[in-house]
Formats: sequence, C-alpha cells, structure tokens
Amino acid sequence: MGRMRFLCDVERCIDCNGCVVACKEGHHIPVGVNRRRVISINQGEMGEKSISVACMHCSDAPCIAVCPVDAIYQRDDGIVLVSKKTCIGCGYCFMACPFGAPQFPGGQVFGARGAMDKCTFCAGGPEKTNSPAEKKLYGQNRIAEGKVPLCAAMCATKALMAGDADVVADIYRERVFTRGSGVNAWGWDKAYKKK
Amino acid sequence: MKAILIVALIAATGISTSVVYATGTDPMLARSIDAGPITASWIQFNEVFTGNWQQYGELFTNLQAYLFSRIFLFIVTLVPVIFFFHYLAIGPKKFDHSGQQVYYFNLFNRIIHWVAAFSFSLLVITGLLVILGKMFGGGAVIMNGRSVHIFAAVLFLSSAVPMFLMWLKNMFPAFYDIKWMIIMGDYLSSKTKVVPAGKFNAGQKMWFWLATMGGFVMAYTGFYLWSFRGDVDTLRLMAIIHNFLGAAMTALFLAHLYMSLFAIAGSLGSMLSGYKSQEEINILHSRYKPKH
Repeated sequence: MGRMRFLCDVERCIDCNGCVVACKEGHHIPVGVNRRRVISINQGEMGEKSISVACMHCSDAPCIAVCPVDAIYQRDDGIVLVSKKTCIGCGYCFMACPFGAPQFPGGQVFGARGAMDKCTFCAGGPEKTNSPAEKKLYGQNRIAEGKVPLCAAMCATKALMAGDADVVADIYRERVFTRGSGVNAWGWDKAYKKK
Repeated sequence: MKAILIVALIAATGISTSVVYATGTDPMLARSIDAGPITASWIQFNEVFTGNWQQYGELFTNLQAYLFSRIFLFIVTLVPVIFFFHYLAIGPKKFDHSGQQVYYFNLFNRIIHWVAAFSFSLLVITGLLVILGKMFGGGAVIMNGRSVHIFAAVLFLSSAVPMFLMWLKNMFPAFYDIKWMIIMGDYLSSKTKVVPAGKFNAGQKMWFWLATMGGFVMAYTGFYLWSFRGDVDTLRLMAIIHNFLGAAMTALFLAHLYMSLFAIAGSLGSMLSGYKSQEEINILHSRYKPKH
C-alpha cells in the first residue's frame, strides 16, 4: 500500500488561501478551527515564499505518542486520524505537534476545550465510512470516494499536492529539474542554445 | 552574432542604470532576480516549525510519552503497598483518648480543612483519570473528569488561601524539625517515644508548604493548560511543571491519607471534633504550647 503525503511546492504557492477556504467550506469547520493555514516568510520583502500547512501525517507521530487516551491512530497508508468520541480535549497533542495541526473548539463546560479536530486527509474518522455520523464529526471522506483531498484539488497553481508519496515526490522532482537550479540553472544555453 | 550582443550589453551597462545586472549596488534588486536557492527557503520554513519545537516540544513529548503516566502509576500503586507493609509491621499509634482533651482545631480551621480536603481529593482523582485515561478508555467520562478538575481547582484555591494564612505562623521550620526528620517522626518503631514537634510536626509542615505553595503553582500552571493563553512553548513548560509537581503532591496526599486514617488512631476524629487528647499531644507534639 502506498503512503499518503502532502507536499507544498513553495515556488508555486501564492498565498491565496484557496486551500484554507476549500477545507473550511467543504468540511463545515467551526469558526476558530483551522485544519489548514498558509504561512509566509519574508512577507513584503524580496524572496517572499508561502507554504500551506495542515497535519503532516507524520511517521512516528508525536501526537500519537503523547495522547493520554490513545484517541489518535495511524492508518496503514500513513493517514493520522483522531477519534473524537475518545478524545478528552486535554491539548497535549497540540503541545507535541511542531506544525500546530491539532485544533480545539471551545464552548465546553467551565470554558474547557472540546475534542480535538485536525486535518483528516479527507479520510473521515473511525466511524463507518461515508456514514452521516462520520460526516458530522469529521467532514467528507473523499479518500473513500477515490478523490484527492479538497485542498489539493482546489489549489489554483497546483502548488499543494496530495497522494501517494512516491508519485508526489516524482512530480515535484520533475518540476524542480525543469525549473532548473544548480547545474541546471538558467543561463545562456537555456535561453539561446538551439536544441 | 554573439559578439554583437555582448557589445550591446556592455554599452547598455555603461549608459543606463536601469539594467539591473549591471548596477549590482542594490542588494534588494539583485535578490529580486534570484532570491537564493530554494533550500534557503526550506531552511527558513523549517525554522518556523521545528525551530520552535526543539525548545520544549521534544522534551515535553518524551516526558509525556514515556515518563508522566508511569510516575503516577508508580506512586498510586507503590506508595499504598509501602504503607500497607508499614501497617502490618509497625501498626498504628494508639493513645488514650479518655483523659484530658485539648481544643486543637477551631471550627474555622476544620471547615477550611475539609473544603480543601474535599476539593483536593477531587483534584487527585480527576487528575489521575486524565493521566491514566488509557485504562478507562477515554471519552465522555474522562472529559467530564476534566470539567470536575477545573471546578475543584477553583474550590481548592478558595480554601488554600485562608488555610495558608491561618496556619502560616505554626508552619515555619524549627530546629527540632531536623531531629524529627532524622528519626523519621518515630514512625519506624512501634515503641512510643516522645517526638520533638510543635503544633505541627516536620512532616505536616512539608505537606502544608507543598499543598499551599505547590497548590498555587498548580493553579497558575493549570490556568494556562485550561485557557491555552500564551505561546505553545509556554504551555509545554506549564504542562511539565504541572505534571511533576502533581506527582509530588499526589505522593504526599497519599501519605497524609495514610497517617490520618490508619497510622495514628483517632487522628481523623480530632479534625472532626477539634479535640486531641493530652496524652497524644505530650508524645507527638511535645513542644506544643497552647495559648490560654
């Protein structure tokens, strides 16, 4: 089985936040919860670059290691999912995650946090696949329908890629090679040499 | 053809400064053409994520994954076992309660003590529920436990402040406390000897300072864990402090439970009625000088 992976091509990402809107809209994410966000470096300067980040679906994920109730688990294809019915909203996964992926809706008794919500790679949760319960708790299960995650599907510049890690890596490698860098950098030959 | 182009380029650089390559004096313009290798951008992005994570993220992840739940499990299983064997080997201290009685704890003391005792017990139970949540399967029960934890914390804080003030003057360390510590409060022998202690012995003083000052630190760190106000590294540090201090407080809480319920017969009664027997005071609180 392949290994699912996100990859954001920072040479293509234009900080349009289309992925963020697609995710929020497609899964009916509550206000204050962001499964995906776009981070920019050198904003307003030369060399500005942006990257779209959600759950990275890590191998050996730190969130799984720290969860006191084993609410987080990893599928065989590498997708990390949370069981909202098991989660107690303690927030430890948020502290363990380098990417700020786990999100918490508020509004529980005594102002406590609710169960954790994060990017599901559009693969739902532990409830029955494509059941109303799954859709209500986790949003669409596009993976079960054979579709790529909404964010990657919506990406206007195709900066954000999702899917089998090998395929995604191949596409990215090809792009980097075609764009040219290092010995392939643009120069006289690229510009003027007839093939 | 090539030569003509080069000549044209040289000519252009000489005449016009609008040709970017030729000026080379403004680094911003130079960077606009080539902002540097893509790896430089990735290094910056990595700094955004893992740079921050390395501070306390790794430490917190390792502690929470491998240590905290084990420390607490160790405490709640081993400490009672030790006390059980202590009870079998040495047994409870018994005193004659029929003789003269001394009014030791006034009504205010007792009310504050029992509010603190009730809320603290809730805090320990619900805290353990969260830490050892795997054993109970997580879900709604533990989540409600977290809510109770928040409620109990507020209740405990409201009793810890008056408790701190009402017993503070009796709780400062004294020289005989060192002697008490050396003989371990005489709890390791079944013979009854006079023990050097004031109104409170050194063990009670330790428990007092840990429960009040430690309680305030727990409340402070717990506030962050509840509200999530502050950056993620602050939260990690707060969680680390909260867990370690919580483990120490749980251990001494169990010790206090054992002492009051089992090790000293009639101890529980004195906190209910407020009276201690003169005989018990003469032995366990020999330096106690009541004000008349």
